[in-house]
Amino acid sequence: MSSSRRRRSIFELINEYIEEMESLAEELLPTERPSWDIQAHTIEPLCNVFVTPDEVVVTADLPFSDPDSIKVEPIDRNTLEISAKIKRKVCCEDLGIIHQRGEFSTFKCQTRIPMPVDMEKREAKFKKGILEIRLPRKKGYEIKVE
Amino acid sequence: MTVHFILKLGACLNRIWVYHNLFVKLLITKKTREDSLAVPINFVEKSPIPSGATMLCGFPDVGLVGVLASSHVISELNLVEMAYVDSDLLPPIVVLHEGLPHAPIRIFGNDDLLVTIAETAIPAGGVQRLMRSFVEWGKSKNVKMMIPIGGIPVQNRQDIEEPKVFGTASSLDMIKLLEQKGVNVLKEGYMVGPQALIMRYCAERSIPAIALLAQSFYNYPDPEASAATLNQLAKVTGIKVDVSKLFEKGEEIRLRAKDVMKRTQRELTKMKKGQEYDLPLYV
Repeated sequence: MSSSRRRRSIFELINEYIEEMESLAEELLPTERPSWDIQAHTIEPLCNVFVTPDEVVVTADLPFSDPDSIKVEPIDRNTLEISAKIKRKVCCEDLGIIHQRGEFSTFKCQTRIPMPVDMEKREAKFKKGILEIRLPRKKGYEIKVE
Repeated sequence: MTVHFILKLGACLNRIWVYHNLFVKLLITKKTREDSLAVPINFVEKSPIPSGATMLCGFPDVGLVGVLASSHVISELNLVEMAYVDSDLLPPIVVLHEGLPHAPIRIFGNDDLLVTIAETAIPAGGVQRLMRSFVEWGKSKNVKMMIPIGGIPVQNRQDIEEPKVFGTASSLDMIKLLEQKGVNVLKEGYMVGPQALIMRYCAERSIPAIALLAQSFYNYPDPEASAATLNQLAKVTGIKVDVSKLFEKGEEIRLRAKDVMKRTQRELTKMKKGQEYDLPLYV
């Protein structure tokens, strides 16, 4: 049995370290903030990430969204931004927000990808108002079995 | 080399910090659980509760299936608020409706039906005591049958046009009833959460109970799954409700329910809801 492992650079180690600290901070100190932003006219959709042996699958619930306006853009190597225009006018009152006035026109969220993935090979489909993005995982090294 | 060493040291310290925090969290959880045993749970009755009614329970769970179903039944049948739950086990929340404050867990009803609805996530630390209290309260009202409504998470929910509904029962007689009515019986597997506890406590207290569980999204509100459970409810109990609005207003419901869904998901994670995906042990 033989194995070959790619040596990681210092920057990769630093990034990994910072990410670990950030995720720990998020877990221990969950922030309470609204899921909407009146100034930016955006609503943060529900979003979910799950990992399979071959892929990282990101889904987002985008009711009332215009399928042609959906954008999935990598912000960096492990963050994905999802945005979509809302088809109809959604006012604060429609969402039960009485103490403020305004309208929402866009869904927007950023989600962190927990594993190294190939962002360029992402595939997306939109069905029943749910966006599903499949990102193939990067393979680090292989152990040959004899 | 030195940078590498510092990073390694940092990573080690980080690990120690993680374990320290986990340990502290564990201690806090244990203490909270011990404290919660002393907290009373009161059912405040606003009007006389009918004896021998059927009781539907819609507690926040995957896809908010039960909550959406209960809310729809209350609205379609014009049920009135009959009681609410008062307990310090619940978060310090009041729900405002038409300017008036209400408790987050309420019981609506008429002469022969009681419907429980929770408008906030049930804290994982208090779910066992709360559900036991519900079953005991139901027993004291001599309920004919308890019917928790919920979802079974399926990963390919997007590809399912009509979610299937599965039933579980508190006794062999109830299993026969489900089979007679043509409901698929969930014979093996795990149930986790409020619905699961109601079934267990009903079995302990010999209260007839069936749970109706529809294939649903795990963490997205699923009004179509709620409609599917209500269709099966009509088959089993004869309680008929028009479910068309759950389809017509589906997108609106999903948008408005998203924040409750998010909080529910956090509590479900603490309850280890994901165990419902597990393969059952062969015994």
